[in-house]
Amino acid sequence: MSKDVKPTRKNLMAIEDRIELSERGHDTLEKKRDGLIMEFMDILDQAQDVRSDLDDNYERAQRNINMARAMEGDVAVRGAAAALKEHPEITSQSKNIMGVVVPQIESTKVKKSLDQRGYGLVGTSARIDEAADAYEQLLETIILAAEVETAMKKMLDEIEKTKRRVNALEFKLLPELHGAQEYIEQKLEEQEREEIFRMKKIKAKKEEDEAAENAQEAAEAEVETVPADG
Amino acid sequence: MSQEIAVVGSPDFTAGFRLAGVRRFENVQDGERAERLDDAVTSVLDDAGVGIVVMHDEDIEYLSRTVRQRVETSVEPVVVTLGGGTGSGNLREQIKRAIGIDLMEE
Repeated sequence: MSKDVKPTRKNLMAIEDRIELSERGHDTLEKKRDGLIMEFMDILDQAQDVRSDLDDNYERAQRNINMARAMEGDVAVRGAAAALKEHPEITSQSKNIMGVVVPQIESTKVKKSLDQRGYGLVGTSARIDEAADAYEQLLETIILAAEVETAMKKMLDEIEKTKRRVNALEFKLLPELHGAQEYIEQKLEEQEREEIFRMKKIKAKKEEDEAAENAQEAAEAEVETVPADG
Repeated sequence: MSQEIAVVGSPDFTAGFRLAGVRRFENVQDGERAERLDDAVTSVLDDAGVGIVVMHDEDIEYLSRTVRQRVETSVEPVVVTLGGGTGSGNLREQIKRAIGIDLMEE
């Protein structure tokens, strides 16, 4: 607990304001964290589906290209690859999920029909077509996976950040502020008690003084009256 | 802005992607992975025209610490690894850290 706060009423009010603000912020951040985690769960399901598709597609693509290379030879496959004219392109836009900017990737020219590929129909066999097809399919899944995994990475970052903030407020800032508040309240009470005690003392002293004065006056009066008797 | 897909890996790995039209690729022979893979990956990561980097999961093991960290955390371009199974990579660790439980159990 920080003892360096000055125990004044003004400070106490400032601290009470800060506590109120921090508590409000804490509630809001907690809600944000829960919301983010819910959104994340949705994406996670999606990601797991995409991942298993990705693995299946990769295996199929590998099988196909191995077949093509075995049957047609490495040179034919490379030749076909070198002849390609269209190249896949991606453009990314962004989408906002609870303050996290996640990309939405759009692709063009990934899937191509036979005549778009540009390596000719006569010179190559169906196996190369199949392999190209499988790899195009794989690329599509990769693009989807990239989108989903980027979203996951960003959301995880944000969840971690929010969690850290919630915890900092809950376990560090708020206890400190409550401590300071209690400290000031106790100090002020103490000061009040001291003040009352001081007042009592002063009152007692005053009464004592007054009594002494009265007694002295009375004595003087008596002294003045005594000779008159005689 | 339109970007491209890049593939980094052994010539066998990249060949298929070339068939699908990928232009940007870095061939690293299996024997040279220790020396050349870092540079190859860094060069595609630094290329602003690359939006997605495709790598094989095994190749990640050969990267040096700093490059590996970049690969695992990079968002632009994002690195997608193939052949590692569902619960692969750093993502699972990150989920464990952020949420507190392992959500990727199979």
